[in-house]
Amino acid sequence: MSEHDVIFDAMGSHVRLLIGEPGPGMAAAPAAAEQARQLIVEFDAALSRFKPESELCSLNADPRERVPASELLRTAVKAGLEAAQRSGGLVDPTLVGEIETAGYVASRAGVPGAPLGAALAEAPARRPARPNPAQDWRRIEVDDAAGTVTRPAGLRFDTGGAGKGLAADLVAQRLRGYSRFIVDCGGDIRIGGADALISPYEIFVEHPLTGERAFVLKLGFGAVATSGLNVRIWRGEDGRYSHHLLDPATGEPAWTGLIGATALGDTAVEAETFAKAALLSGPEGGRTVLGERGGLLVHDSGRIETVGPLAARPRVRIPDLAASA
Amino acid sequence: MTEPARKTRRPGPALVIWSSIVLFGVLFALLTYQLSASQSPPPRPVVVRKVLKRRVVTTYVPTPGRNSISSSGAISSSGAIAAESSSPAYAPVTTGAS
Repeated sequence: MSEHDVIFDAMGSHVRLLIGEPGPGMAAAPAAAEQARQLIVEFDAALSRFKPESELCSLNADPRERVPASELLRTAVKAGLEAAQRSGGLVDPTLVGEIETAGYVASRAGVPGAPLGAALAEAPARRPARPNPAQDWRRIEVDDAAGTVTRPAGLRFDTGGAGKGLAADLVAQRLRGYSRFIVDCGGDIRIGGADALISPYEIFVEHPLTGERAFVLKLGFGAVATSGLNVRIWRGEDGRYSHHLLDPATGEPAWTGLIGATALGDTAVEAETFAKAALLSGPEGGRTVLGERGGLLVHDSGRIETVGPLAARPRVRIPDLAASA
Repeated sequence: MTEPARKTRRPGPALVIWSSIVLFGVLFALLTYQLSASQSPPPRPVVVRKVLKRRVVTTYVPTPGRNSISSSGAISSSGAIAAESSSPAYAPVTTGAS
């Protein structure tokens, strides 16, 4: 058995593909990896908020309410709306103006994040995020038959909440039939293949405070995703710390008592949605969000809490950073 | 007075020949049986081991216009973790915020 391992940068993150043996009549793993890489590059070119020539930016700038959209853009919009629906509006794809106001105007790929510990020390009182009562995302409609996206002019959309997960899912669809595969789009990971059921992959969960391995998952199918405050976090000109996970109700960065959440799901979009919703919900709500499929919560203290099925099967070590500190 | 010498009776040639043939047949049959029995030992279990070896070919695709600082960082850190890990033949896959 051989496995092809490809690593490259796209969507402001590292992307990694591990592809096993092809099924009958399928392309060899290196060729499949190259096709997948091209798909992700095209995905990034079409749906990046930071590339003015992207189709997403064209949509957001279009003064018409009903705008022709490619299948890829329509799929991305539907994924964003699904994430909003499943999270009750916590994962809101319409907070473009708010995230720009917070200081996230250009890509932060390769930009070191501000120290999370210092940010936590100066952060306001912790409280769960809440959905925006206006629920603007409900005013976006996708018409596949007509090939259009309809929304009030000026209402901008961002794939940020589900973009990497969707890319992982789209590549995974193309890799069906290979003996085993992993598609890792910046930590949004999709796993498949019959052989992976027999010999699961080990997935390391990174601790948001230390960057070290905090947990090990063994997964043979499905998806896992992590959302955290440690990467896209910065200090504004006013001296306040900000990050990219906003409270839809206020449009401000959310400080909920959690600094990281890892979620399992059937698809990477689903896992990503659960992870973001759990982090935004705070410790109590996060347990509810992750209760069914399982996941991890990382508290402000660094303490790691297993939730749902993961808590029921403690098969890996769980370092308690708070206790060892 | 001495007893008269007893006259021994010799078996007839036909009896000797037939007895020899019968004895030879019995011994031959016995040896044949033993030989055949010794040549069929109880069946021994045959163990077939299929060795599956996973070989991972890793390719780092550089980003156009950039050197591979970030990629090489990933290699070194991942390699360090892999040295601690017991099972995977590939560098570990990590989920974290991005």
